[in-house]
This record gives sequence, structure tokens and C-alpha cells, in this order.
Amino acid sequence: MTAPLTAGSVALDGNITAAPDAPEAFIASRGFWGHVGHRLVRDPVAMAAGILILIVIAIAILSPWITPMDPYKGSMLRRLKPVGDATYWLGSDELGRDMISRLMLGSRLSLFMGVTPVLIAFVIGSGIGILAGYVGGWTNTILMRTIDVFFAFPSVLLAIALSGALGAGIFNSIVSLTCVFVPQIARVAESVTTGIRRRDYIDAAKLSGASAFTIMRVQVLGNVVGPIFVYSTSLISVSMILASGLSFLGLGVRPPEPEWGLMLNTLRTAIYVNPVVAALPGLAIFIVSISFNLFSDGLRSAMEIRQ
Amino acid sequence: MNVVLPKLGARAALAGVVLLAATSASLAQGTLRIGMTASDIPLTTGQTDNGGEGMRFMGYTVYDGLINWDLSSATKASDLVPGLAESWTVDANDKTKWVFKLRPGVKFHDGSDFTADAVVWNLDKLLKADAPQYDPRQSAQGKTRIPSVASYKVVDPLTVEIVTKAPDATLPYQIAWVMMSSPAQWEKLGKSWDEFAKHPSGTGPWKLTLFAPRERAEMVPNTAYWDKNRVPKLDKLVLVPLPEANARVAALRSGQVEWIEAPAPDAIASLKGAGFTIVTNAYPHNWTWHLSRVEGSPWNDIRVRKAVNLAIDREGIKELLGGLAIPAKGFMPPGHQWFGKPTFDVKYDPEAAKKLLAEAGYSTAKPLKLKVAISASGSGQMQPLPMNEFVQQNLADVGVQVEYQVVEWNTLINIWRAGAKADISRGVSAINYSYFIQDPFTGFIRHLQCNLAPPNGTNWGYYCDPAMDKLFDQVRNTFDKAEQEKVLQKVHEKYVDDALFVMITHDVNPRAMSPKVKGFVQAQNWFQDFSNITMATASR
Amino acid sequence: MLLYILKRLITVTPVAFGVSIVCFLLVHLAPGDPLSAVLPADATQQTIDDMRAAYGFDKPLPIQYAIWLWHVLHGDLGVSIATGRPVAQEVGRAVVNSLILASVATLIGFTFGVFFGFVAGYRRNSILDRVASALSVFGVSVPHYWLGMVLVIVFSATLGWLPPTGAGPDGSGNWRPDFDHLRYIILPAVTMAVIPMGIIARTVRALVADILSQDFVEALRAKGLSEFGVFKHVVRNAAPTALAIMGLQLGYLLGGSILIETVFAWPGTGFLLNAAIFQRDLPLLQGSILVLAMFFVALNLIVDVMQTALDPRIERA
Repeated sequence: MTAPLTAGSVALDGNITAAPDAPEAFIASRGFWGHVGHRLVRDPVAMAAGILILIVIAIAILSPWITPMDPYKGSMLRRLKPVGDATYWLGSDELGRDMISRLMLGSRLSLFMGVTPVLIAFVIGSGIGILAGYVGGWTNTILMRTIDVFFAFPSVLLAIALSGALGAGIFNSIVSLTCVFVPQIARVAESVTTGIRRRDYIDAAKLSGASAFTIMRVQVLGNVVGPIFVYSTSLISVSMILASGLSFLGLGVRPPEPEWGLMLNTLRTAIYVNPVVAALPGLAIFIVSISFNLFSDGLRSAMEIRQ
Repeated sequence: MNVVLPKLGARAALAGVVLLAATSASLAQGTLRIGMTASDIPLTTGQTDNGGEGMRFMGYTVYDGLINWDLSSATKASDLVPGLAESWTVDANDKTKWVFKLRPGVKFHDGSDFTADAVVWNLDKLLKADAPQYDPRQSAQGKTRIPSVASYKVVDPLTVEIVTKAPDATLPYQIAWVMMSSPAQWEKLGKSWDEFAKHPSGTGPWKLTLFAPRERAEMVPNTAYWDKNRVPKLDKLVLVPLPEANARVAALRSGQVEWIEAPAPDAIASLKGAGFTIVTNAYPHNWTWHLSRVEGSPWNDIRVRKAVNLAIDREGIKELLGGLAIPAKGFMPPGHQWFGKPTFDVKYDPEAAKKLLAEAGYSTAKPLKLKVAISASGSGQMQPLPMNEFVQQNLADVGVQVEYQVVEWNTLINIWRAGAKADISRGVSAINYSYFIQDPFTGFIRHLQCNLAPPNGTNWGYYCDPAMDKLFDQVRNTFDKAEQEKVLQKVHEKYVDDALFVMITHDVNPRAMSPKVKGFVQAQNWFQDFSNITMATASR
Repeated sequence: MLLYILKRLITVTPVAFGVSIVCFLLVHLAPGDPLSAVLPADATQQTIDDMRAAYGFDKPLPIQYAIWLWHVLHGDLGVSIATGRPVAQEVGRAVVNSLILASVATLIGFTFGVFFGFVAGYRRNSILDRVASALSVFGVSVPHYWLGMVLVIVFSATLGWLPPTGAGPDGSGNWRPDFDHLRYIILPAVTMAVIPMGIIARTVRALVADILSQDFVEALRAKGLSEFGVFKHVVRNAAPTALAIMGLQLGYLLGGSILIETVFAWPGTGFLLNAAIFQRDLPLLQGSILVLAMFFVALNLIVDVMQTALDPRIERA
């Protein structure tokens, strides 16, 4: 296993996370990413995880056309068939709907609800963090102390508090999860930016007469976005678990839409009849979540280039 | 408990043998623990919340009504019997005037006497907002159960007179809902219902000894109960709220409880296999969608109401429930004495449903969209989540899009009481509600009489039809039972022919219990009697 | 040291205020009239008026917040809509149960996490290291509510060894650490322990590896210090961080237990929150979250202070 066990990194709570190290010295953007890509390709675990993620994404995109059966069409006579059934390869659910088809279609919402909050938080959080880190001073203090308040809530609690108050629904879940991740990403972005701001090459750029905006765009973004991105990928797994958790509690997706967390919830009554089928949606969440974690770990180690 | 340390087990067995030998006549009758579907211990102050289940476990156990239900037979439909009142009669000349003769010598658990003053005090607790003992929580539960009551007074210490707003033959059924709490206990506890909730006192066969909110309630027999036949034989009755069907099954299997309400249908076969008993019986119950008839509701079109009724595959639901259901043919169960001869055949005919919807102006381009409030669990609600999801699928097949608002059971009760126009109904056009349909009032009148629209009653959908009201008046004014039955048939025919509800199914009230539970007779009622139950001492 | 504690207290106060503001705003986040969100559906006009006056619902938000905070500081978290009981009372009872569960889970997670971390740190790149790595990735990737279900399927539904739900044979009212009650805590605690186990294992491994690779360890060994002596040295250096993480994990488990408590019907704060959400009991939701978040803030502070006190390397500023 090449995944490094650096202190912290992915944690369901997300908080024990040391900022990933920024590249030690300025490396020409393309050269650096080329190098990272090269190292990543040689990392079998990360590659396997990456390929698995691509497959799931492909299934999610194509699912409306490739599901073997109608994922909404049930039959009371054929409910809770076991895994390995001649018609239903992975069995059928409590309303007699094909599990494969529902798992395939369910990947759409599960992925969407897991990835979207991180994406939005990546944009917002980077913005806040880079601004705070680059401008410094009072702006930094105000922004970061506000962020500290959100760190006073364990992620799960914050997500549930917000969803609970806002009410159930896909949109509300995404909003709550975004609120969970913005502070985490902002904190990382701030520390990376502050670290880089002090470096020589910024001074060099300033001396050469570049405007503040240009410096921010070219230098800071170039060197900052990488580490923030890596950190954000490590949040996707957390986000997937949380999003499904919200649906599991009845706060996310509503029936009959298939979503893995919700499927897990509705199949709970079947654990005495057909435990394997009841456990399948959770297995799907687990596989995707661990893939994201392993890929993110691989990405991180590929970026740890010391000179 | 199934797993016992060997050493302990041996000692316990030994103790058992000694006990058997010593006192074979006066055997300890054990503790019965029951897993309820409610998510909290029902209100303990008298008038319970949590619907029929609340009354079953916390109402008729700790308390009595003036009139009780006869719960002694499993084979015949249960009827009213004297409770704290020995008799009740309506005045021959003025049919609004009722006289209740009280049972002498009855004492509350705290030792105080039950008298006519206590009856008036308890009615005030529900109806008189400026009375010191007025309790908004109990009033919310009880007021709508007795909408006919206009006034009441003490005639002598053992006689109470109740006057109704208009002649109403259904008054006794209404009065059977009102539980009598002890005024003396309330005074003693500083006139606080919160304190009373922890140390309640009624006249019922059980005394509450422990009340841990959301977790547990314990009761012991009231050995001084006035009806010697109903003095409980058990040592202790324990109530455990277990709202999730699966958790109930798990708790029964692991020996945490000996009795569960509404086991998950999918678990029934495996429970039987593991030696548990499944008890079922027909009872006056229906599982419906109660429709909003406020302005702009899609249900105001009879074609929509009929179409939705025709789109539901009731046999499929029965299958989903492992056969433990009776598919609806009307609002009352098939074969009921009030069923009559409706012309609208409630059956599964998706083609006819599609045709009706098209006539009503709906199409794939402009589909009918419905927002419905449902609960996640609850007494009589059966298995609301999968059942509603199934209905949703049925309706999707005929092009109707349904969106559910899932709420907790007590919240749904609040929505039901607040009415379709209230804020908390949040614009739903129907609620999935299961009804206690035991008597003319609870069966028909309260759902649809014009003047029982909230806040006066539980006509949730604000339905109002003068023709229906006329029939209801006839019911209330017909004091002869056979004659009343004929009117009730007409009422039911109108219910079905106008498709006033989405009539889906009737429950058979499944309960699963350990084979140790002996002597339980499941009455054809929402309420049950726990007095004659004993626990077999031999371990399973 | 006292000065340091004082300093930390001063920095933590604005955070605590911020937390209370967020909790206060939860009720206003909810759709609809905030007054209707904190009142039972069957409230009488009298109750509505009382409530409006008591909490100043017609006044501007900052004043409402001040009133609310005043109540909170006096231990009044409002009244539960669903039960009519004081929220503080309900939360108080639940917090104890949650603490029991979270503490047992943290203890399990810490024991196994430290064990795996040490083994992996000492034997880097060995099979054991890989197993430990795999376990820790598993710990942070597995949806724990699903793991709970799987454990119930295996150990309760199939094998029948352990009870699947609840806090004990007679509820949590008189919980004590005896055999009967511990049987009930095993499944939820093990499920919960998986997360801190992974995190602690990762951290300890990195710490141990880091300490072992430092020059002075070689120097100690060269000076003839026994392997046990080196081990003691490693423990002393790794302990503060490991303990700090354990403390924080306790906080996360306390706040993040809602899913596990729901799966196992454990009568703690998570279970209470779940009920609050379904009953749309916003005062209860607000109160539980405030208490949990404050717990977490306090725990952070304690951990921070303890770490400073324990770790010779951290200077007390």
C-alpha cells in the first residue's frame, strides 16, 4: 500500500487535517502537474481507485439508458429476491424492484449529493481562504474567527442541525453539506496562501512591477490551488457518507428516487429476510467512498515532491 | 433473556423449582414488556396523545371512562359497557339531556373518592379554558372527541347530567373517550400537570409506578380495582416505545420485550419460525387518504377521486404486508353491518383511472400532482412508508405524480387536528390517516360534518355537503339501533359513491408475542385488556 | 500555566458566542414563522401571547438573541414542542447516555488505534503495517450506520449473541457497567470506535515513525539504551498528541453519534435529535445542538490546555 499515513488527512470529522504541504519551491506549473501525473500513474492502488471512480461516474451518467430493468417498476410477487436470482442478479428490494437497476440509477444522486457540496465549497472556501491569506490583517482575523465558529461543531452535527432546521430535500442537504465544508477548505486555503505569500518569488514578482491582481492570479493561484484541490478530494468521501447519512435519516432524497442512503434505510426492515440485499447499498457507498480516499491519498503522495 | 450465564441460569432454575414447590397456588405472574409503535411514552395525565395506541396503553390501563369498551371477547364486535357510570339514560322528553348514574365506592389510586364533582372537574379540564385545572395538552387530545357536549352539572354526589348541543344518539361513544384523572392528586402535587404526569392517579386497573420519558413506563396492578374480574394478574406491565418496526422485531427476538405491536410484515415468517406467536383479529380500522376539499384542491373533482381509488392495487398491498390486511371495498370493511350497497365498485382498474383522469383534463404533458403528508410510523398506520411508496408507484402508472411529506406520527395527528388550511399542513392536499371507525361518530360523522371543521372537530378537509349533513342529523336523532343502522348504510353508500376518501386497506392488528404470554384475548377493538394475561414461568 | 489557561479562555469566548448565534439562528432558518416553529400546533392564544412576550418575537433579531441568550445562561433552553417538558431536562438525561457510549467507543478506538499505530510505526512497510493502513482507511471510509446494520445482521439477527437495540434490559434509567448493560453497549460502541481507531492509528504511526527516524534515537541506541528504553522514549513523545486526538474524537463521537444512536435506538442526544427533527421540535433541536457544540468547545479547550501541560516541546506563550 503506497497510501501514506500522514497525520490526519481524511477524517469523517474532517477537522484533524494538516494542510497538505505546498510544493517546496516554485515549479513551472505544467512541469509540476506532469510530474504528479507521472507519479500517480505508477501508483497501482491510486490508479485502481481512480478507474473504479471513473466506472461509477460512467454508470451514473449512462444509467438511464443502461439499467437492465425499470428501476421504478416493482412487483409484489417478486419482492426481496435473494442475490443470484435468475432475473434479478443482485436481488430485488422491498417493493420488488430490481436492485442492480436501482443501485445503478442510485449512483447518480449519491454521487451528485456527495460531490456537489465539495465542489461548491471548493470554490467558496478557496475564495475566502485565499482572500484571507493574501490580504492578511483584519480581513484575515475576521474571516478566520468566523470560520472558527463553524469548527466548534462536529461536521455530522452541523450537517444535521442545518438540514434539520431547513427541512428535508436534496437542495437543503446540499446547502447544509456545503456549509460544513466551506470552513474546512477555507482554513486550508488560508494556511497555504499565507505560507506562500511570504515566499521569495512573490517578492520577486512584486519587484518586477506586477499588479496585486496579477500576482494573485498567476503566482498564488498557481501554487495554492493544487494543495487545496488535493485536500478537497479527500473530503468527497466524507461528503458521500454524510449525504447518504442524511438520506438514511430521511432528511435527503425522498422516495421513490433511488439513492443509496435512502435504499439502505428502506431495506432495513428486510434484514431478517434478506440481509445480503439489505446491505448492498451500504456496500456501494463504502466502495465509492474508499476509492475516493485511496485516490486522494495517492494524489497527495504524488504531490509530495521534495527537492 | 435468552442468554444467561450458566451459573446464574442454574441458580435461577433452582430458585424456580423451590418456588414452584413452595407456592404452587400463588405463583408470581411475571412481568410483561410491550414494544409500542409510538416514539414516546403517551401522555400520562389522563387524556393521552399518540392516537388509539396511547389510549390502549396509557388511557384504559391507568384510567377509566364513565363508559368503557367491552374487551372480553375475540369473536364478537365489542360494544360499550358501564365503566365509572353504572348506567346512562337520555331524557324521554328532552333528547339533549343525559343522566349518568355513577358507580359508588370507587377510589382513585391516591385513595380519594371518585364522585360527580370529579366528573365535572375532568370535563372542565378539557373544555373550560379558564378553569384552574384546564390543561391545554389534554384538551387538545380530548376536546374534539366530545364535540356534542354543551354543558354538564352535578345533580347529586353520584349523578351527573350532561346536555348536548342537539339531540345526539352517539354521545355515549364520545363519552367513552374521556378519561378521569384524580382532582385530589392534582391538588396535592401543587396543581401542576407536569408533576401529575410523573405521578398520575386514575381509577384504572393499573397504577403507573415509573415514567421515563421516551424510554419506559412501568405499571403495577391496582389490587383495589372496582371490577374484581379485571384486577391484573401480572406483577408488572412495562411499556417501551419502539417506533421502528425493525427495532421492535429485534427487541422481541432478543428478549428485551415479550410483546410487540405491528411487527414488520417481512419478519413475520421468521418470527413464527422462531416460535413466536402472531395474533391477529379484525377490528374497526381503515387506512385511507383523507382528502382536502378546500378551494383549489384537485380532490374537488369527483373524477380525480374515483380515478385515484381505481388506480390502487390493493391486492398488491396485501401481498406487501404478508397477507395481513383486508383490501378496502369501501370506507367500512367488507361485510360490515353499515356497508350497504354502494354502486361505485372500489377495485383495481388502471385503464378506467386513466380515462377518468383524461376526462378531468390531466395528461402526460399536464400531469396531476399531489402532495400528501404521511407518517413514518404510528398506531394503526401499519407500515406507512413502504405502503405509501407502493401507492405512489401505482399512481405513477396512471400518470399521477405524488410527493410525500414524511412527519412523525404525533406531528401528523397535530396536522390532522389543525386542518388542511393550517400552516402546519404545509399545503398538502391529503393526509394518510388510519381511522378508528368503531361507532357512528368516530366512523363517519367526525370526518365530514360541516360544523366539525377545525378547530371545532376533525373534519380535516373542510368537506361540507348539506345532503351529508342531513343524513348525519338523522343518525344523531335516531335512538333506535336498527333504524339507525339503515341510515348509517345510506351514509356509507354516499361515502363510497362520492369517493370521499381514497380507501385503501383495513388492518388486522398483528401483534407478535413470546409463547410465554398466556391468557391474552385480542378483542375486535383498538383497545385491549391486559388484566387476564399471565406469563408462563417455564422459559422458552 | 494559569496565564495560558486564561488566555485560551479569552480566545474561546468569542467562539462560544458565535456558536450560540448559530444555534439561535437555527430556528430562524426554518421555513415559516419562527414563532410557530417553537410552539405546539395546538397552542392556545394565551400560550402564543405568553411566548411572544417572553421571547420578544416581534422585536428585532439582536434583541431576540439577547433575550434568548439570557434564558440560556439561566439554564432555560425552552420547552419541547412535542412533550411539553423542559428541553434542558431532556437533553441532560440524553447527554449522560451519549457520554457513556462515546466514552466506551473512544476507549476501544484508542486502544486498538494506538496498538495498530505502534506496530505499523515500528515495522514500516511490513505486512502488519499494510494491514494497519488498510484498517485505518477502512475506518474513515466505511459508512458507520451501514457497519452498524451489518453488525446487527451478523451478531444479532444471525448469531443471536448480542442484543441489537436499546441501552439495557430495563432502559437507561439505572445504567451501570454490569454484564447485562455492557452486552447492549458492545455493538454500538464497536461500530462507533471504527472511526477514531483509524484516525488514531494513522496519527500514531506517523508520530512513531517520525520519532524513530530522528537522529537522537540513533544516538540513544548508540549510547546503549535498551529497546525498551527507546520504546519508553517514543511513548513519552507520542502520548500528548495521541491523547489530544483521543479527546477531540470523544467530542466528535458525542456530536456525530446521531446515525449510530438511531440505528441502535440508543437513548442519547443523537436519538433525541432524530426525534426532534421528525417532530419538527425546533426548541429541542436547538437546545441539543447548543449543548453538544458547547461540550465540544469546552473539550477542545481542555485538550489544548492538557496538551500544553504534557508536551515539553510546546512553549507556553
